[in-house]
Amino acid sequence: MDAGTGRQEPPRCSACGEPAVFFERRTSRHLCRAHFMGGVEHRVAGTITGRRMIVEGDRVAVALSGGKDSTALLMILSRVLPSIADVPLVAITVDEGIRGYREETIRSADRLARRLGIEHRRIPFTEVFGDTLDAILKGRETRSCSICGILRKKALSDGARAAGATKLATGHNLDDEAQSVLMNVLRGDLPRLARVSSADSSGQFIPRIKPLMYIAEKEVAAYLLLCDAWQDLPECPYAQHALRREARSMLSALEYHHPGTMLRLMESKEKIERACAGSVFAGPLRPCPQCGDPCSGELCQFCELRRSLGC
Amino acid sequence: MKLILPDRKERVIVTGPVPLDQLLLAEGINPLEVIASRNGVLITEDTMVGDDDEIRVIRIAHGG
Repeated sequence: MDAGTGRQEPPRCSACGEPAVFFERRTSRHLCRAHFMGGVEHRVAGTITGRRMIVEGDRVAVALSGGKDSTALLMILSRVLPSIADVPLVAITVDEGIRGYREETIRSADRLARRLGIEHRRIPFTEVFGDTLDAILKGRETRSCSICGILRKKALSDGARAAGATKLATGHNLDDEAQSVLMNVLRGDLPRLARVSSADSSGQFIPRIKPLMYIAEKEVAAYLLLCDAWQDLPECPYAQHALRREARSMLSALEYHHPGTMLRLMESKEKIERACAGSVFAGPLRPCPQCGDPCSGELCQFCELRRSLGC
Repeated sequence: MKLILPDRKERVIVTGPVPLDQLLLAEGINPLEVIASRNGVLITEDTMVGDDDEIRVIRIAHGG
């Protein structure tokens, strides 16, 4: 206890003894600001180099929504990339047209790209699909997340291609990835479980990379707070996807009581990928016969969606 | 202590020193879904907090 204030002293950093700002439950280590931030950046750099996500000669498009994950991704990439490879970054913001939500995050994305001196391109849904997401979803609100996800993916792919990018980086974090694995198990979707997430598209498509895939959502939030970059932005009004919400809540509780659960789930997926390599479940992506985008079925998800919407 | 919850509601709680995570769990909050600061400084979930503290709890918005 501090004798002057009577306040309980915070735990101390396991590495240097400074006041700790983060407790890494999986390793039971306390970390000060410098060791926490350095550790996150080191792990992201390790993910990038270990999985050969980015190499010399690349031009990396970063999907920048202006929310916490993409903000952290762009900040961390701008810090760690110079020591990995001399590659230019271009930020791409998709403006779905979600009234009362998107305006604020787009302003935030603009400010960040300007501050970091990174080229920034904005892609409105109205230009790519002829209408806003709000208009497209009228009467289809129960499918909002799946429809939006497919359209955003398409807009990002087109934007990355137009920007001359060789890689498209997204801000998916460990929680997102573990939730997807659990959801694919719950849906019995073996092809998605078996597909290698870092699949090389052999030059046919722009590969998507997820440099934050081993960084927990709480670490992302703490990193931003410690950089004075945290913004209390609203959550998407369409974020009502029942299964993901339940998977998130379930995994979060499991992770609290059994630290390391999410990482072990990711390791399980990697084992499944290896075990299924070369099998019919893990076939390579091929160009969609209608639009040329990556596709594992008869049509890509975007062309399937267009067919189901009758447009 | 003054506890500022994610919905910005404020509560005054009288308690002896207690680990932050126990306080959060008692409020029905999973400590992994929030970050917390004491008088503006980020603190770990096992920090002991007491009556003189102002604790702000920020919910981590998903997505983005």
